[in-house]
Amino acid sequence: MKKKTTILSFLLALTLIFSLFLSIACAAEQTLNAYSIWPENWARPMFEEFEKATGIHVNFIRFSSGEALARVIAEKDNPKVDVLFGGPVATHIAGISEGVFEPYKPPAFDVLADRFKDPDGYWIGISDDPLVFMSNEDFLKENNLQPPSSWYDIIEPAYEGMMQMADARTSGTAVTRIFSILEVFDRDEEKAFDYMKKLNKSVQVYTKSGGGGTIPVGLGEAGAGIFFIVDALKTQQEGYKVVVSFPKEGIGTSVEAIALIKGAKNPELGKKLIDWAASPGMQNLLSKYKINFIPAHPDVDIEPGLAKVLEGAANVFPIDSKFAGENRKRIVDKWIEEVLPQ
Amino acid sequence: MPAFYGKLKQSFQKLTKDPAVFISVVIIWIFLTLFILFPLAKILILTFEKSGHFTFSNITEILSKRNHLKAFWNSLLLATLVGISGTTLGFFFAFTSVRANLSRGWSKFLDAAIILPLISPPFTTAIAIIFSFGRRGIITYNLLGFTRVNIYGMQSVLFAETITFFPIAYLTLKAILAGIDPTVEDMAFSLGSSRGRVFKTVTLPLTVPGLANSFLLLFAASLADFATPLILAGNKFPVLPTEAFLQITGLFDIRGGAVLSFILLVPAFIVFMLQRYWVAQKYYVTITGKSGAQTEIKSVAPWAKKIFLGVCLGVCLLILYLYLLLFYASIVKAFGANYELTLKHYVVVFTEGLKAIKDTLIIAITGMFCGGFYGVIIGYLISKKEFISRSFMEIVSLLNYSLPGTIVGIAYLLAFNNPPIAITGTALVIIACYVFRYGATSIRTTVAILQQIDPSIEEASASLGAKSLITFRRITIPLVLPALFNGLGVVFIRSMTAISATIFLVSINWTLITVRILEKMTELELGVAAAFSVLVVVIVFIVIILINLFLRIFRQEGAADLSNMLGG
Repeated sequence: MKKKTTILSFLLALTLIFSLFLSIACAAEQTLNAYSIWPENWARPMFEEFEKATGIHVNFIRFSSGEALARVIAEKDNPKVDVLFGGPVATHIAGISEGVFEPYKPPAFDVLADRFKDPDGYWIGISDDPLVFMSNEDFLKENNLQPPSSWYDIIEPAYEGMMQMADARTSGTAVTRIFSILEVFDRDEEKAFDYMKKLNKSVQVYTKSGGGGTIPVGLGEAGAGIFFIVDALKTQQEGYKVVVSFPKEGIGTSVEAIALIKGAKNPELGKKLIDWAASPGMQNLLSKYKINFIPAHPDVDIEPGLAKVLEGAANVFPIDSKFAGENRKRIVDKWIEEVLPQ
Repeated sequence: MPAFYGKLKQSFQKLTKDPAVFISVVIIWIFLTLFILFPLAKILILTFEKSGHFTFSNITEILSKRNHLKAFWNSLLLATLVGISGTTLGFFFAFTSVRANLSRGWSKFLDAAIILPLISPPFTTAIAIIFSFGRRGIITYNLLGFTRVNIYGMQSVLFAETITFFPIAYLTLKAILAGIDPTVEDMAFSLGSSRGRVFKTVTLPLTVPGLANSFLLLFAASLADFATPLILAGNKFPVLPTEAFLQITGLFDIRGGAVLSFILLVPAFIVFMLQRYWVAQKYYVTITGKSGAQTEIKSVAPWAKKIFLGVCLGVCLLILYLYLLLFYASIVKAFGANYELTLKHYVVVFTEGLKAIKDTLIIAITGMFCGGFYGVIIGYLISKKEFISRSFMEIVSLLNYSLPGTIVGIAYLLAFNNPPIAITGTALVIIACYVFRYGATSIRTTVAILQQIDPSIEEASASLGAKSLITFRRITIPLVLPALFNGLGVVFIRSMTAISATIFLVSINWTLITVRILEKMTELELGVAAAFSVLVVVIVFIVIILINLFLRIFRQEGAADLSNMLGG
């Protein structure tokens, strides 16, 4: 019995030491907290570069836009982060009316085009991100199709059950898509929702995140999808055989934004991140890491490969961020009620 | 009435007579109230309250949405089907394992293969199923050449959940079948019955309560499962836990999520009560004292044995195949497109993922000790001590375990986001969630073990002159130790693999491997997700081996087997 007790206490001590050892946190001197809507493999190199440039460490966790905003709102009285980083601007605009952001105008504010900034500085645009159609080459070949060049192409029978795109409940990509369709139909909701119900027949699954369908399309599990260009080109870069195309009726582009959280624990550090993200400091790095966002800052050149893809885009229009922010909840609810259960 | 008061007074006196028990009971009730009753009350309030008034309108409003109503029926349908298919498969396995005279090696092999789904992180079967049976799946496309398979929908969820949960049925039914003395069957045989008739009139009826129990366990497990439908259900087959999750995380509608989870709570609670008050009383006991000489089991014909074993082997191989595929996906560059071998996913796991691993281990280890001791203390109190509110304490302590994780997670989110106990965002809230949820298994094992101990052992010790403290230390503690280890094991394993409750509780400072897996899956870094899953399976396997080792050192007669602790 005594021996067993010794073993036990030894085990206990060992475990305690182990957990203590583990819990010695990597607490850097200057740390700021952020929710990132950009996927980890883009946010991480950016934040590492930021740390190199300023010595400020960014502690972050990635969420889909809906999820990130939900958290920011839930934590309103006791904010856990300083900055909401990335994500389509409709998310940030929805946050303004919830009173979760603190206005801040970085040095780049004045040179940014109007659509890349909130007039009061509640959010700042860091890049532009148009939606595209992305199709699997083999799928097109097997069905004798050209890359879709109209919104009506993708509701043809060949596409039935062959598309993947994002779920409006979690993804900003989906919200941007829905507002694009609304614009294509001149904001005639009845016609737009009629179209979306037809499109619903083409969809095999709505994914939780915006890029969720890209690899299935790359692999041929799905034939095509509607994604942000940044996700579509990443799929191409990884070697999947996919084609990017644009509909002739036009398609929306959304600003990617950053915002300071109201009541942030480290507002000064948060402002430094915004300064950096809105400047060429960060945006020049996008091409280095093959992140195909279109830089928002006028002094930053568009990467040639990306520019070439954009040449094919005859009609890309910015989503009216005010209209989108104000109607987001209503339209998404309507989509859930009318389109999803079809 | 006076009789009632008299009784109350009596039990109160009894309580105060033993101050140690009294104090422990009070302390435990404080904890149970804070971490079980209070959060659930929060859900109820949010469900039935609107601007200060009692109302049903929140429920009718949510249910008026077509998608939600559909989700409700889908959940019930799915749970029923999983209950039936899982119980059938589990019974098949249990019958083969107990009655087909398997050699020890085969028996061990079955056990080992079957335990895999139980100790895996969520999604693992889901990922492997997409890899195998998806539109570009190894089996459906590469092998069979189908081009338009639709993997998303009820059939996939049903398949994945059956594979994941049937081991629960197996473990439950195996114990019951093993408890049926073969001599009972022998009697029937000697009276001239055929094998089929013996099975129909003896074996099956004796197993019926077990089947019902296993059905309910699987029903509850499927009802609570949120991970598999999230990946496999597609948009045509919404289910409640996933809808509640999306309602909160996607639409930041916490009330809607709470109401949806309340709707989920109703069937879950009915199942819990059925199990407790109906099935539990129907167990037949065929053990009469010491069992006689081992008789040869005759209930399965030799040819049937081969078929049984063949089918079981087939299912086991399927499980092993799914896990090998997962491992393979973790060491190739991009599954489905580029099969070059690489370690890059593991590099990601041990660099970017290091924080999640560290956090998970700290939480799991802390939770393991708290949960293990919590379980043993409550288990000891409710099986060995008399006090007011004893049976109520038992029910309440099992509540968080019986309810779907989504409900518990949402309840914790509601309860601990604001003062007086604002602990969301800390490790504490995740640990508390695990302790009060999975500590329940430790309670159950403790109760089961202590009930087998004849009070005479303790009395004997006392009558030999040992003081009560010595009796406790020399007799009771050694007897309880296996239960403690069981409890430690379960809490640890579940802390490593659970997601449904804690997905609402992770924060910027504390995150979990399972949540990273989900995140990596939605970001389509399937290789990294697979690598994380492999890591979890390996850690859990090591821990199981360690615990088995310790159990062997402290082995007591009649002590529970480790495999028992995972059965439901």
